[in-house]
Amino acid sequence: MAEVHVIGQIVGATGFSESSLFCKWGVHTGAAWKLLSGVREGQTQVDTPQIGDMAYWSHPIDLHFATKGLQGWPRLHLQVWSQDSFGRCQLAGYGFCHVPSSPGTHKLDCPTWRPLGSWREQLARAFVGGGPQLLHGDAIYSGADRYRLHTAAGGTVHLDLGLLLRHFDRYGVEC
Amino acid sequence: MAAVGPSVFLLMVNGQVESAQFPEHDDLYCKYCFVYGHDWAPTAGLEEGISQITSKSHDVRHSLVWNFPIDVTFKSTNPFGWPQIVLSVYGPDVFGNDVVRGYGAVHVPFSPGRHKRTIPMFVPESTSTLQKFTSWFMGRRPEYTDPKVVAQGEGREVTRVRSQGFVTLLFNVVTKDMRKLGYDTGPADMLRVEGQGLTHGLPQ
Repeated sequence: MAEVHVIGQIVGATGFSESSLFCKWGVHTGAAWKLLSGVREGQTQVDTPQIGDMAYWSHPIDLHFATKGLQGWPRLHLQVWSQDSFGRCQLAGYGFCHVPSSPGTHKLDCPTWRPLGSWREQLARAFVGGGPQLLHGDAIYSGADRYRLHTAAGGTVHLDLGLLLRHFDRYGVEC
Repeated sequence: MAAVGPSVFLLMVNGQVESAQFPEHDDLYCKYCFVYGHDWAPTAGLEEGISQITSKSHDVRHSLVWNFPIDVTFKSTNPFGWPQIVLSVYGPDVFGNDVVRGYGAVHVPFSPGRHKRTIPMFVPESTSTLQKFTSWFMGRRPEYTDPKVVAQGEGREVTRVRSQGFVTLLFNVVTKDMRKLGYDTGPADMLRVEGQGLTHGLPQ
């Protein structure tokens, strides 16, 4: 079986209007993939930047997969939330990106979006906070049923992911 | 002829903790240590170190230079738990106490070659304003009991931090027998300059 190691960090985020941000992340794979070691999901710390506007998390990711097929290549899905001084959390954006498929280190910029509600909900969000959220997280990384959503852009999440592949040449896979 | 292949690969890392940028703080020193998984063991070199205390230069760069050497070799059977270097930076506060000015961590690069990494440094923050004032006054800021927590992902979801500086590190990486074991680490990563360009003496 071929093996894939994903070793890297969720570095931080820029472009969000709120400043104290954290990120909930998870990895979704197809049926042919098996996670041998590492945690499949997690949540970063809450960062309030003092210099500039980039929130830095430096959250380590270390995953070891074994796979029997190329379908269902791992996707990393992210939810960026902001926390205010009262401890309340508000959604800032959803995003996903595929784990890179060529070995080596990659810098990724993942754009995010957030669902817009009706004009009433948008007004309420501006004054009181809150706002619509997805009921099922799989709309973040799957394309089915996306046509029902009307969304606005959020900021960008920056990741530094390194990929180590093992035995892919035995199966004739070029990447 | 049945050739017995290697079961262990080696990772040799050398380099330096080059410099730092902390706009609001001065007279800093740093400590580094390595955090790695259960399948890894250091075979040579030093796993930890404490640098000298450095002050900001008076020119326009305002850089804090340590130029502190790193030299360590690991052996392992599994890339899971790839070593991370954890840095903690300390400095004096207004009253002269030694307080923490930042923690940061980054994985050691795995493609052989020369790599430059600029990492953000963050400090845990108290939740209430009263606690912030008391810790400033008493000189006892919130800090991690074990800096190695910074290299882990679990348990961070309840912490609030403030990012307030950057440290630049330079790594040279050499691996042995990774290709024989079937691992493909990708193209050797030539020096990518991230962040501001600080002039420094490149190793010949």
